[in-house]
Amino acid sequence: MATHALGLFETPSEALAAAGELKGSGFGQPSVISPIPLETAEEVLGEKKSVIKRFTFFGALFGGLGGFALAAGTAVLYVHPTGGRPIITWPPFLIITYEMTILFGILATVIGFLVSARFPAFRDRIYVPEAAVDKFAVAVPCEDRGVFEKAEAILRGAGAGEVREVTE
Amino acid sequence: MSFIDDFLASWREYREPGYYDGFDYHWTMSVDLDRCTGCGACITACQAENNIPIVGEDAIARGREMQWIRIEKYWEGEFPDVKLRFIPMLCQHCDAAPCETVCPVSATYHNQDGLNAQVYNRCIGTRSCAVYCPYEVRYFNYNNHHWDAPLEQQLNPDVSVREKGVMEKCSFCIQRIRQAKDVAKDEGRRVQDGDVQPACVQTCPTEALVFGDQNDPDSRVSQTMNDERAYHVLEELNTAPSVVYLRKVETDAV
Amino acid sequence: MPSDARPQELTYADVNRDVVRSLVETGSKYYITLACSIGVMLTCFFFPWFYQLYYGIGAAGVNHPSVWGTYLASFIFWIGLSHSGTLLSCVLHITNSEWRKAMYRSAEAMTLFSLCVAAMMVMVHVGRPWFIHWAVPYPNQMEMWPNFRSPLMFDVMAITTYLTGSTIFIYMGSIPDFAAVRDRTTGWRHHMYVVLSLGWRGTDLEWHRLRWAYTFLAVLIIPLAVSVHSIVSWDFALSIVPALHQTIFAPYFVVGAIYSGTAGIVTVMYFLRKYMNFEQYITKVHFDNLGKLLLVLSLIWTYINIVELFTGWYGGTSGEIEALRYRLFGYYAPLYWEMILFCAVAPLLMISKRFRTSFVPMLILSILINIGMYTERFLIVGTSLSRQYLPDAWGLYVPSLVELSIIVGSVAMFITLFLIFVKIFPSVSIYEVKETLPEPEPDTTTGEPEWQPTH
Repeated sequence: MATHALGLFETPSEALAAAGELKGSGFGQPSVISPIPLETAEEVLGEKKSVIKRFTFFGALFGGLGGFALAAGTAVLYVHPTGGRPIITWPPFLIITYEMTILFGILATVIGFLVSARFPAFRDRIYVPEAAVDKFAVAVPCEDRGVFEKAEAILRGAGAGEVREVTE
Repeated sequence: MSFIDDFLASWREYREPGYYDGFDYHWTMSVDLDRCTGCGACITACQAENNIPIVGEDAIARGREMQWIRIEKYWEGEFPDVKLRFIPMLCQHCDAAPCETVCPVSATYHNQDGLNAQVYNRCIGTRSCAVYCPYEVRYFNYNNHHWDAPLEQQLNPDVSVREKGVMEKCSFCIQRIRQAKDVAKDEGRRVQDGDVQPACVQTCPTEALVFGDQNDPDSRVSQTMNDERAYHVLEELNTAPSVVYLRKVETDAV
Repeated sequence: MPSDARPQELTYADVNRDVVRSLVETGSKYYITLACSIGVMLTCFFFPWFYQLYYGIGAAGVNHPSVWGTYLASFIFWIGLSHSGTLLSCVLHITNSEWRKAMYRSAEAMTLFSLCVAAMMVMVHVGRPWFIHWAVPYPNQMEMWPNFRSPLMFDVMAITTYLTGSTIFIYMGSIPDFAAVRDRTTGWRHHMYVVLSLGWRGTDLEWHRLRWAYTFLAVLIIPLAVSVHSIVSWDFALSIVPALHQTIFAPYFVVGAIYSGTAGIVTVMYFLRKYMNFEQYITKVHFDNLGKLLLVLSLIWTYINIVELFTGWYGGTSGEIEALRYRLFGYYAPLYWEMILFCAVAPLLMISKRFRTSFVPMLILSILINIGMYTERFLIVGTSLSRQYLPDAWGLYVPSLVELSIIVGSVAMFITLFLIFVKIFPSVSIYEVKETLPEPEPDTTTGEPEWQPTH
């Protein structure tokens, strides 16, 4: 149960400035809660790397191999000669492979998204409903009262209209 | 690595086109157009042998006739100098059949005797095989058919009755082929030429139709195939049909 | 992008308010429309279909050479209609087009529902729909698997993938909006949105992950969508029927699909704008851009049509010549020339900017284009099959009443699904519209917090 200091800002630039300042003054990783994606958030809060691309790649790879194995394997499992074609017919099976590559690429991307963004999460977490409308919130973890007051000062200084103490 | 060798060996085998070539029988029919009188006895015989429904006048007016073998008619020239040409048309049992590749559920495939088999139970009725067939010899059950008493008494017990939503077509009387193969197996021999005849061949009064095994070079059908009059219908489509037509001799042209 | 694509006077709070209002405030007009479309769907789609299940495919007008009929034409039509939504949305997302943002959600919904209707058309089309699961690869004790060499199996795989992909795409793009709506609704709606939003908060981490996942999906879906309609065209082009066995069919179908889909978007946008009060969001700019796109597509479509005729005529084989002659001057010729009028000639009006930015003319034109495109699909199926190689087996196909009724019913089914959608999904993307707005100014007024639930 970590206490967080949470400041509400009117504009994204103020919020990002506050987050940058908090990060610079030795606090834990601040997080910005915003109603729109902020293009510049990474510049302030540090670059993020996501594992989604690995999920996508390996999902697509699995789908591709699995798709060909499905088409070729089932053709061999129960041999039905059709139209004088070979049993393992490359070109049509590549179409199946292609579709399965994309299908599993998509599914794995979704799983990657859920895993890396920690969804679904139905427990109570730090959140302010205003941040889904037009406010920009900055939350930073604080170990004790002293740290909280220090964070509050920084948030207020950066232009926060309101600072709340929230616990997760 | 024997596993990899096995894999590569079977891979090569399965990559070989014309998988059916190595099989024992390659049933073939030849149609001598010089002998054919267009009497239509083959149609009736087929109807009786294969439980083909009598669809009735209305359905025929709507273009839903059911004839596994039909006599195609073509008029040539203008009246009064007019000629009627005709050609019996039935499933050509193509070795490179377009209908087989298109079926999503493998309801039609090439069996071990070089026949184009239709599995009624497996058919889901997409009707794409009928579209892909350039010979238009596949017939669809648009609705359930019934046989008025006492016609149901003459249904052939060796042939299933097809329900609505199922495609059907000439099978070269596969039930008779099965029977002949069973007898031959019991007697420890191959099926001989003349052991088996589809209903249409059996009925043809002028012996215009000849049926047999193409793999047997001495069979009557193999010999007719060497005739200089022999041709395939729509040969340019490369479907490799198993039905051979012998051109009509033009007596008035001589 | 022209800067007037943005709804200028709106604030962030307005967007939330307007979108939530579109979800929770439902007038009697909506219920009447919904009841009507459900009624039409039941009487015109399900009733005739059940009759056909009982009687057999013979309830349709299909006959010996023309074993495919309007059901397949409808299937292609609905698949085609599905092609603009998600595909266009993905392309515009990747190219960062601003005018995408107000309309993409409903365009994607169009994709989803036309795919659902297309899937229903497959059920209606096949002779024994109760065995349709045999076309799905699943292990069974018969050890029977589907035939993966079949173009119809490509269809099964491609459409399953496309349906999955576009469902996921529209859902993932909506998660932040579900969260925004969650905070402002009460009762059963609130519970539904709690689940749908997965606990979205809008932290920088979540936005980052969403952006990456969403972009990956867009990149995966673009080639998928192109492949889907190519594969649908191969149902025809892989046959050896004259006038179906065409190399150009795959691009022809893809272009035709995007064409009719874009026209569909114009239709949907018109009604959304008019009846859901999104005048500030869906503006003349959208119609202008869509009009330009439609114009280009109509030109490409016309070009491919000409190429198809020319190569067929130049090839000069008897089968091909007869098929073309029959299509242009045969029994169905009036339909052919109607298609040319609606899809090649009428869209030239969109050269004029005044036409593109007038709402009602654009609506009428978009409907005409889709009628023309339906005709195109019908002609591809109808004329080619009735003129194949053996003249003795030539025939004529005329749709039956059951078929016509099912066409009407399928439109009603689409409308029903869409009407349900606009009350569940925020039909205009809240967060992406906000991105197009100017950043909020420091607020000087104090009042009731905006986030209070409205009900």
